[in-house]
Amino acid sequence: MTRVIEVPATFDDRSFEQFAAGFGSWPPEEKVLLDARGAQWASPYGLLAMLTAGQAIAEAKRDRPLFTVPTSDDVKRYWARAGFFKYAAELFELHGKVPKAAVSGPSDVLLDVTPVRATEDVHEVVEKISQGASRILHGELGLEMKATLRFSMALSEACQNIVEHAGTSGWVAVQAYTFRRRLGRRVVVIAVSDAGIGFRRSLESAHAKRFGDRWGDGAALEAALIQGVSRFRDPGRGQGLAFIKRFLDQWKGKISIRSGTARLAIVPPWDEDVPLSEHLPFFPGAQVQIIIPAQDAESR
Amino acid sequence: MIQTIHIGHLLRETVRAPYRNLLTRPTGAAIRNRIQETLAESDCLTALLDFSEIELLDFSCADEVVAKLLMADEERGERFVVLQGLREDQHEAIEHVLTHHRLAVAALPADAEHEGPRLLGWVSTDARAAFTCVCRLGALTAAAAAASLGWPAARAQDALEGLAVRRLVRTDGELFHPLLIA
Repeated sequence: MTRVIEVPATFDDRSFEQFAAGFGSWPPEEKVLLDARGAQWASPYGLLAMLTAGQAIAEAKRDRPLFTVPTSDDVKRYWARAGFFKYAAELFELHGKVPKAAVSGPSDVLLDVTPVRATEDVHEVVEKISQGASRILHGELGLEMKATLRFSMALSEACQNIVEHAGTSGWVAVQAYTFRRRLGRRVVVIAVSDAGIGFRRSLESAHAKRFGDRWGDGAALEAALIQGVSRFRDPGRGQGLAFIKRFLDQWKGKISIRSGTARLAIVPPWDEDVPLSEHLPFFPGAQVQIIIPAQDAESR
Repeated sequence: MIQTIHIGHLLRETVRAPYRNLLTRPTGAAIRNRIQETLAESDCLTALLDFSEIELLDFSCADEVVAKLLMADEERGERFVVLQGLREDQHEAIEHVLTHHRLAVAALPADAEHEGPRLLGWVSTDARAAFTCVCRLGALTAAAAAASLGWPAARAQDALEGLAVRRLVRTDGELFHPLLIA
């Protein structure tokens, strides 16, 4: 038996739930096939979700999953340029012709799909992104130059969460594109995803008791993002997410974190997302998305 | 009397790569250990931590390098710590983590010849005013500070003693001295 999971045609944080529901229980008992033939577009969040699923299945020592590549040449080229197939080939048995990643000039891909396994990777990620970030954030989105540094700090803190809390490796990708339906403006999107233990298990030993019956994935996300708690007793911990929140508030940005069966978002005025969603289909690890929109003329 | 420690130099030695970004807790902890080792072998009165070669300083690293260094009182001995070469965003990161721990440190501005040091972190309004007064007027008694600030003597005494406890001014008998930075 093979469980076929259709990759949403437009794969972003919204259609993610459809993707997560396809797995049933974790880890799936059957061999898994991710069918991306009909895919038309994927955000960095979507690309990392597919890799995270592959990683979680590998770490659960299940059969190597299958992956049918998109039919569209444009989609395949874009995913190749974003570095997706390089890592997908390590996790999936790929079916379909995959183009070689083109080495081209400036593109909307600020940071191609990059594994985050250790502290050194966080250094590499920030080094890699610094020039492109300035070009996009200041040049295209109209943010102050100092926003570039804050952006890099936010990226660093988000990646460090994997190294410090996930208990396994993860992925990061950064891309600029136009949010036509929701915002009608250019945005930069940071996606960070891991297949690790998730927020609830990470915080459980130190904080579950305080929440009593309320403890769960949603409460753990609230504790981390709203209350700034950490599993470490060190009082300096937990400031990274607090900083990201403050930075995003200043630039009318958005952060959402999904872990286990819950998702928590700090929702800016331009978005209609719900702040907390619970009882979602389970998905391993944690998925973070940070969106920074182009500044309107008034705030420039 | 003053030992300047170039953080950029320590970073290059620690991560063995030409990075200019001070990122992550393990890197910050390694840099702090190097600072503490250097200071353990030094009899300097003031440790001047120079960040001028550093591009980016994230919160985790600011916490590990600066906040935990200040908290490690035993290792500091009677030494004063002053920061220099900080950029605006680095000020912000350090200010944030020190405020979180209710700590404070003095930082020299880029134009130190014309501007006095400033305090980063958690400091009361009185202590900040008293600090500026000492930096501007030089060594003075609490009574002299009170006269300059237009405060009752006890208020100036409290503010200056608070600064001395946190090693943001030096004391010598009844006199309160600015930090030795040059």
